[in-house]
Amino acid sequence: MGRKGKRTVVTLLAALVALALPAGPGRAAEKVVKIGVIYPLTGGAAAAGRELRAGVELAADIINNVMPGIDMEMAKSAGIPGLGGAKIQLLIRDHEGNPTLGADLAKKLILDDKVDGILGCYHSSVTKTVSAVCEQYGVPMINGSSTSPALTERGFKWFWRTTPHDRWFTKDLFELLKGLTEGKVRGVPAVPKEEIGTIASACEKTEWGSHVSGLIKELADQYGFKVRKSLLYAAKSADLSSEVRSLKASRAGVYLFASYTSDAILMVKTLKAQRAAPKVIWGQDAGFEKPEFRKTLGDDIVGVLTRTVFLPKVADVKKVAGQVNALYKKRTGHDLGGASARAFTGLQAWYHVLNKAGSTDPAAIQKAANEIVIPGSELVVPWAGIDFQNTGSEMGQNVLGSGLIGQYQKNDKGEIVLEIVYPFDLATADMIYPFPGWK
Amino acid sequence: MDILVSSVVAGVLIGMVLALVALGLTIIFGVMDIVNFAHGEFLMLGMYTGLLTANATGMDPLLGIPVAAVVGYLLGVACYWGFIRFLLRGPMVAQLLGTFGLMLLLRNLALLLFGSEDRGVNAGLLVGKSVDFGMGVIVPATKLAAAALSLVSFVGVWLLMNRTRVGKALTATALNAQAARYMGIPTERMNALAWGIGGATVTIAGALIVNFWSVNPYVGLLFTMIAFTIVALGGFGSVPGALAAGIVVGLLMEIPGIWDSVAYATEWDWMMDVPVTSFKYTFVYLAYFVIMVVRPRGLFGWKH
Repeated sequence: MGRKGKRTVVTLLAALVALALPAGPGRAAEKVVKIGVIYPLTGGAAAAGRELRAGVELAADIINNVMPGIDMEMAKSAGIPGLGGAKIQLLIRDHEGNPTLGADLAKKLILDDKVDGILGCYHSSVTKTVSAVCEQYGVPMINGSSTSPALTERGFKWFWRTTPHDRWFTKDLFELLKGLTEGKVRGVPAVPKEEIGTIASACEKTEWGSHVSGLIKELADQYGFKVRKSLLYAAKSADLSSEVRSLKASRAGVYLFASYTSDAILMVKTLKAQRAAPKVIWGQDAGFEKPEFRKTLGDDIVGVLTRTVFLPKVADVKKVAGQVNALYKKRTGHDLGGASARAFTGLQAWYHVLNKAGSTDPAAIQKAANEIVIPGSELVVPWAGIDFQNTGSEMGQNVLGSGLIGQYQKNDKGEIVLEIVYPFDLATADMIYPFPGWK
Repeated sequence: MDILVSSVVAGVLIGMVLALVALGLTIIFGVMDIVNFAHGEFLMLGMYTGLLTANATGMDPLLGIPVAAVVGYLLGVACYWGFIRFLLRGPMVAQLLGTFGLMLLLRNLALLLFGSEDRGVNAGLLVGKSVDFGMGVIVPATKLAAAALSLVSFVGVWLLMNRTRVGKALTATALNAQAARYMGIPTERMNALAWGIGGATVTIAGALIVNFWSVNPYVGLLFTMIAFTIVALGGFGSVPGALAAGIVVGLLMEIPGIWDSVAYATEWDWMMDVPVTSFKYTFVYLAYFVIMVVRPRGLFGWKH
């Protein structure tokens, strides 16, 4: 054997020995829990998708690493203690706002990627189809940000929702309107009922908007308000001028909207162009709360109300919210919003459920989710906590959630900020009433 | 009353712009009997051209119109020489499928280049401004300008078609291509010119529309449908027909406003409860169907 041959044999032997050695501690395969995350990363709700993704990725980082500055249970250890320190691995997919695509992605995640659970999907219409797939395969799904009441009225056994839904949020709105007539709103003397007694609503036509539209009618009746116009429009409309003319024609004092980002922007632009002059403009979160809405429209949104589940002002009353918000702002350049805070909370719920279950077995997860109570002090959102209902008409619904109503106002530095105007005891500023209109 | 007048005014104004959208389609069809399914995508590219020109240069979006016109003309001519003239040799179904393929190609190219998000013009000389005509009739300045410029484009195209040698050659090609060839008219070049003019008019319309409508890569389909309706109503190949039909279609789109004006004037609750606004495009498609059945030639059709 020549020198070259010997060298080859030695090299091969060395390679074989290296392969045969037991793996050292540095090479142990890390235990992971796979969570399939299905959000709208492109399409009309891509702006929301970016927020959702940033929120969920931040939560995953806090779960997977020790973060001393965050007063949360999941920041105290690296990974999930109940699963021997297993890390969360997110498999993020884009449903483009398409319910059929969402269902296909859920199937692929379950069958091909073998995920342990699903989180998503923002659009109620997509959550509906994805949760149906999860129900079919017996895979647990937690939903953090879809608010159609119907989602928890189906008796599903593998579906849990952390966020409050639209019935609660819409009720908050009518409580605010009632409060306006009773002089309960900070900085606003009692408003005569005839000023705000009539309502006109424009909601987008998918599952979510149609439901909000129905709820507005139902609750208006209960609270003694008259709906003069209730219209549905196609989401991602290129033009909303005839819709706005219709709202103006109703001569209603209050305009209510359920719109995704691009529609919300177009709606306000069109209201301005046609010089609509209602006393109150309120958006059911979604588009009305996105950074793009604020960035694109600037001063034109001063006085607009939006329901939300999170405002940076919450940090004043919740320390942990301020800590997480600071981290989020460092990463993204803007504050947590309703979408990102709820996405964060959705994955946080996953952490607590998995930790309690102590296993990725679906039945164990199901049992843990049905029994778990997460205290409000753990959450960035201003809720009393998370406790999923597991009987009755709202299976899987968190019964400890609540909403906020914010109003866009200009602060001393000339920045547009959201101030809390409802609940009345959490108000951070005087409400601007009536809506000041546009220059 | 104010809502009725507002709706009628809005219908006429948007109708004039939609007429310009359809003008290119009617010219192309008039000259060479080919239905361009990618027409809406040409418009979408015009919208993006107007938007991106304004963003890149910081100038008013309306000043992007000449750029859009050049882009549309070149795109139309390139499509003809590189693609359409080969389709003309095939059967009708090949032409239909060919332009359908072009539609998919342009749409997906836009998706690749610009992403799928809705984008709009947020700053400009007229953006956000309105003109108050009294009686509660408030018209966005951008729509007023778009309608006026659309009318100017129409007059320009009409003069080109009827007062110039090139226009006469185009008309001759449209009426009888073979006879035109015998007379020494270069019909191939006329076809390319028709595509160029068609492309330019629709991208001009796009650059006008982007001032008040948002744009995404899928926006073309709606406009293709509306343009088809206008062409069918106005008559294939008729320039004045396209203008008249555009205004009719604009008014059809405003039926919800007219309905509301009656509902609130009479205070009839049952009328207020009918969701007419949700069906604003339904009236347009219904008109298209009725015209196709009753008078396939359209109101001003001159081709047989």
